[in-house]
Amino acid sequence: MTTTLLEEEKQTTHFSFTGRGSEYFAIEIVNLLLTIVTLGLYYPWAKAKSLQYLYRKTELAGTPFVFHGTGKEMFKGFIKGLGVFIVLYAILLYGIFSEDTGTLLITYGVFMLGLLALIPLALHGMMRYRTSRTSWRGIHLGYRGELSDMYSTYLIGFFLTILTLGIYGSWFVVKLRKQMIDNVRFGNVRLRYVGDGGDLFLIHVKGYFFSIFTLGIYLFWYTKNLLHFYVNNIVVLQEDGTYSRLQCHVSGWEVLKLTVGNILIVVFTLGLGIPFTTTRTMSLIMNNTVMSGHFDADALVQTEEAYDSATYESMTDMMDIGVI
Amino acid sequence: MIFEGKYYNGQSSKGMPAQIALLADGLHIDYCADEVCGSVHWELAGIHQSEFNDATTLLRYGKFPQQSISVVDKEFKEALQQQYRGTAFLKSSYNSVLSLGLTGIAIMALSLLGLLVAFVIWGVPALADRVAMHFPQSYERQLGEQLYTKMLQGYQVNEEKTAALNAYLSELETDLDYPITAAVVTSDEVNAFAIPGGYVVVYEGIIDKMEQHEELAALMGHELAHIQKRHSLRAMTRSLSYYMLASVFFGDVSGVAAVLVDNASSLRNLEYSRNLELEADRYGLELLRRNELNPQGVVLLMERLQTSDSSEMLAFLSTHPNSEERIRVLNELIGEGKQPYKKNPVLQRHWEKLMH
Repeated sequence: MTTTLLEEEKQTTHFSFTGRGSEYFAIEIVNLLLTIVTLGLYYPWAKAKSLQYLYRKTELAGTPFVFHGTGKEMFKGFIKGLGVFIVLYAILLYGIFSEDTGTLLITYGVFMLGLLALIPLALHGMMRYRTSRTSWRGIHLGYRGELSDMYSTYLIGFFLTILTLGIYGSWFVVKLRKQMIDNVRFGNVRLRYVGDGGDLFLIHVKGYFFSIFTLGIYLFWYTKNLLHFYVNNIVVLQEDGTYSRLQCHVSGWEVLKLTVGNILIVVFTLGLGIPFTTTRTMSLIMNNTVMSGHFDADALVQTEEAYDSATYESMTDMMDIGVI
Repeated sequence: MIFEGKYYNGQSSKGMPAQIALLADGLHIDYCADEVCGSVHWELAGIHQSEFNDATTLLRYGKFPQQSISVVDKEFKEALQQQYRGTAFLKSSYNSVLSLGLTGIAIMALSLLGLLVAFVIWGVPALADRVAMHFPQSYERQLGEQLYTKMLQGYQVNEEKTAALNAYLSELETDLDYPITAAVVTSDEVNAFAIPGGYVVVYEGIIDKMEQHEELAALMGHELAHIQKRHSLRAMTRSLSYYMLASVFFGDVSGVAAVLVDNASSLRNLEYSRNLELEADRYGLELLRRNELNPQGVVLLMERLQTSDSSEMLAFLSTHPNSEERIRVLNELIGEGKQPYKKNPVLQRHWEKLMH
């Protein structure tokens, strides 16, 4: 079976990124300006705008993606997320100012449990939001995962990781990726994540020791391995049974050049040049990623219904969880 | 004028070759694929805002699932601009910024940088001050009490001297809005500091340096000014707001909590601005005058602290910079000629207790 599929994998469909640093820089400057002038209230609109730009400049088979999210939606989510955080912090502060160790421990516990309970919710919400607001050739992505599944996957994995002193972490990450990616629909196309926790564990072990032996130089190859593990294990299934596989060809050397360049840009522009680092990173990854295998770009059919809430988009932001 | 493009109907990803005509009231699209042909009319009002187009122009129309067209033709872009200038779907402030070109963008970036710097240098302290000045006094007192108790946990309080100092303070005539609670702690460090809401911590080290109680009165006047004028609260909100700003910038919300927890310990190293220090000095002098004490006490205090053994850690002066200038200003304020002052036996008695 493998041989025939390999034959099919020779056909490739390209991703590409056509955004330019100077353009994205201008957009982010306007965003920053408006965010400052409005004391931060503009942030959701700013975020929507930069996502709209980045999606518009990301192409698959020559057609750009479209981000449909709006600042208004994200603002509502932002306010809700902010509310949740204010409540959690109020509890924690109450404990701190109560001057009582017992109360402090309890409120701290509530605070940490609250955060822990929020993460699966945030991930689930973010997947739903981001996918429903993304379209390509008019076909929307969608997320069909159940929140309860996300909770069980996350909480079981979290505690197993603690019990095994972190070793289970690799399997946990893979389980979580499966939960997220396997539930994505791209019209009538499905995605599968086929990575294996053991492989990820080996990448980590190898990355850890080699990085020490090479005084950190291997870190770039380690990063490349992780990138390949996350991207190259995504399989795209079409309704007629044909499939293709994402292939990222970024090399360790390229990761090194990208990282060093990005650091220099950030340092010498006092952080103002961050938009350039974003477009550099996007270019490197997207221009080196293809779908190899049979992918019929004309055969996608709309399967999503109209969409709703944006609560959790901002929550992931506040918790600093970067997934996509 | 007719343009060639692709039409997507929102149901399938198949791009159908289409001919697009720009009419006065909208776009007319004729599409044909696999012997299925049709045509749609797009009202101008239903076309979604179209930004960030490049060689390809992408237009979307209607409610979910949206129809769209993509046209790879520079002339199409220009024709749209000519025909529908000012229409909602073509309006974009971002696009107008993008068309400014490199110089325009660079000027914007620089002015933004200037704005940021100005905000950090002037905006943040001004805002923090406003917050501090509008902070209800009862809350300030509560906050101060907590910080004070937390603070004293790290020291050994000299009960006798504390009692003497409080007795001394109650004898002093002040115009404070706050009841004052002071403590003398056992430490060789030459330091004293004020906590919001009416709390003062004095180190034994600084008392040992003094020889006359007018110096103590001057020191207390200085610290009480920090309380009365809410200097300590203002300095706290200021340093807190910088921390918060930094944590917001770096997206680390959890950092804010840590700052609140840590802040108690940083109180003793709070730095006040030069103006606030001078204001406190002036207030100290005023306190001496109000109590008909020798105004030279303020200068004496400064000189004593300045000339004492320099190998010692002079925390009071190190957090209070520019003592030379302060002495000069104080001397100017005291002025030439003899100042009327009296001995105060009650204060003197409390002072002697404090010196033991």
